[in-house]
Amino acid sequence: MLKKHPLLTFIFFGFILFLISNRLDELRVYQGATVAVYAIGIASLILLIGYSGQISLGHGALLAIGGYAAALSRIHYEAPIWLTFVIAVLAAAIGGALLGLAAARLSGPYLAGTTLALAIGLPSIANQFSIFGGEQGLYFDIGLPPASLGEDFTQYKWYFWISWSVALIVLYWLRNVMNSRYGRSWRAVRSNDVAAELAGIHVGRNKVLAFTISAGLAGIAGALLAMTVSLVSPGVYPLVLSFSLATGAVLSGVTTLGGVMIGSVTLVAIPEIALAIANRYGSETITTNLPGLLVSALLILTVLFVPNGPVEQLHAKRAKKGHSSHSLIEVTVRVGSKTLSTKKK
Amino acid sequence: MNKLLEVFLIGISAASIYSLMAISMVLVWRSTRVVNFAQAGMALLSAYIGYELVSRTGNFWIALPLAMILGAAFSAFIEFFLMRTLLKHSSQGAIAAIAPIIATLGLLGVIRATIGFIWGHYDRQIEAPLSKVGFKIGENTIAMSPMSLFVLLFVIGLVIIVTIVFQKTNIGLALRASAYAPEIAQLAGIRVSGIRTLGWAIAGASGAAAGILQTVNGTGAISPESLEFSLLLVFGFIAAVIGGLESLPGAVLGAIILGMVLAVVQIYISGTLVFIVAFLLLLTVLILRPQGFLGTKAGRRA
Repeated sequence: MLKKHPLLTFIFFGFILFLISNRLDELRVYQGATVAVYAIGIASLILLIGYSGQISLGHGALLAIGGYAAALSRIHYEAPIWLTFVIAVLAAAIGGALLGLAAARLSGPYLAGTTLALAIGLPSIANQFSIFGGEQGLYFDIGLPPASLGEDFTQYKWYFWISWSVALIVLYWLRNVMNSRYGRSWRAVRSNDVAAELAGIHVGRNKVLAFTISAGLAGIAGALLAMTVSLVSPGVYPLVLSFSLATGAVLSGVTTLGGVMIGSVTLVAIPEIALAIANRYGSETITTNLPGLLVSALLILTVLFVPNGPVEQLHAKRAKKGHSSHSLIEVTVRVGSKTLSTKKK
Repeated sequence: MNKLLEVFLIGISAASIYSLMAISMVLVWRSTRVVNFAQAGMALLSAYIGYELVSRTGNFWIALPLAMILGAAFSAFIEFFLMRTLLKHSSQGAIAAIAPIIATLGLLGVIRATIGFIWGHYDRQIEAPLSKVGFKIGENTIAMSPMSLFVLLFVIGLVIIVTIVFQKTNIGLALRASAYAPEIAQLAGIRVSGIRTLGWAIAGASGAAAGILQTVNGTGAISPESLEFSLLLVFGFIAAVIGGLESLPGAVLGAIILGMVLAVVQIYISGTLVFIVAFLLLLTVLILRPQGFLGTKAGRRA
């Protein structure tokens, strides 16, 4: 069904989610909203890593740009909610384009280090200018849910609805982009940039475009994250957030957009699991350290044993079973009117 | 004139610690083509071990070399068990290029959590063994204390030793050969994998020294979420990139350039701008001269 009617599937999935949200308590609804935020953030990283072959360890910084842009537009110009999200996307995309211009010239470790530096230095930049509200940050309030939704419609449920609507729209759109001409160009650049260039793809431009789109999506994730905690401050976008998103992308499998839910649910579930363990053994050090340990250990294990993510692994297994003579895989990428083939053993 | 001297002294003592960090990143990069983002975590762990040793033995001068040896052992352990497995599995696909980076990030997280488990989340203090009050020249106190003078001399000594090892000994030759052309080195009878582990071990010792000296020369406090160490990682990386990420003299040169530029900013403009300037310096170098000042183009491609 997913293959034939993607739009219907997405709508159906959304409908199920909204049904579920009516049956959950406040905490779960809030966590559900966080899952949506992570899903967008991870999807934007998957686009970057898996589809254009660039890496960002500082996606938290781009989320922060989006969050601050949304909060500032809300505070100073009293922009409506939807407009603050649009502004968040635009601001982060501009930041991402600037970063992408530098990034397109850099290879793996250089880009990783540069983006990491940005994520580490972000708090000091935010503290530098008083307009960002320093360490306390800015209040970001999107207002009460509309009265027409009824009396017992809670604030968190409203966040949940907004986050998931945005997330589903973003994922649906991203899915289409990946299957479009741009998606094919990105994959061509990732697998062999020389061959892509020969096929008439402008490698640099495509990398910058991928970075810009990824940043724009990170921006909206940042605005949504700010919405769920009603605040933007350096503490909302810590270095750990950047690492979590990278972890989520690796857990989901960087080449499979469909795996995005695995990563985002895991990221939200791990602190819960750690909390449950800590409650059983009743120790404070476990509560504070176990989530980090679990996430990091899971990350290392994933890189070691299922480097391309569980979904890809499953596909590979199935392909092995199905075709024993599968030693030669031919990948043909159509770009505009040109065709690019690579053979892999 | 006095201010200029101050800039020089602050710059040079900052540069000494950055260069240790940069050297350890360069060594790891040369031996396995991985930028070790866990270096900050490893340095922090060494600082904690140093703290533990100082409080047990009560003597900083025993604790420092011991912690460096332990740091080297830990680093070699990581290379042997984590990096070898990773590079052996060295997968295909989009993840292959970033798998080592991601693995070092995971390692960073594991180290931080482990530190949190063992030492808890509040600050620990390492007492500085020497006075941190600046020397007096006539009436004025200059920005160089016995402690920072020791750090400077210690780092110069270490750099000289590393240079001698690399240029004059057989092991150094093997280290250079396997960084330059691993396959040819292997054909010439060098055990490249063992040499790699050795490269990581030296890097670990250097990083451990950086961690401890940074702590005693700075506030003396360490905590698992230390921003100071994250900044140390970034500044070490920037210094290494300025130097070309390939060359040891380059790492020292990069550290001196970075230290001086940051000192100028700190004294003449504002201390809060330091990070932004460092970041802009990194971007400028990467855009104008991506192979660094002492690196080679060929090195960057790998």
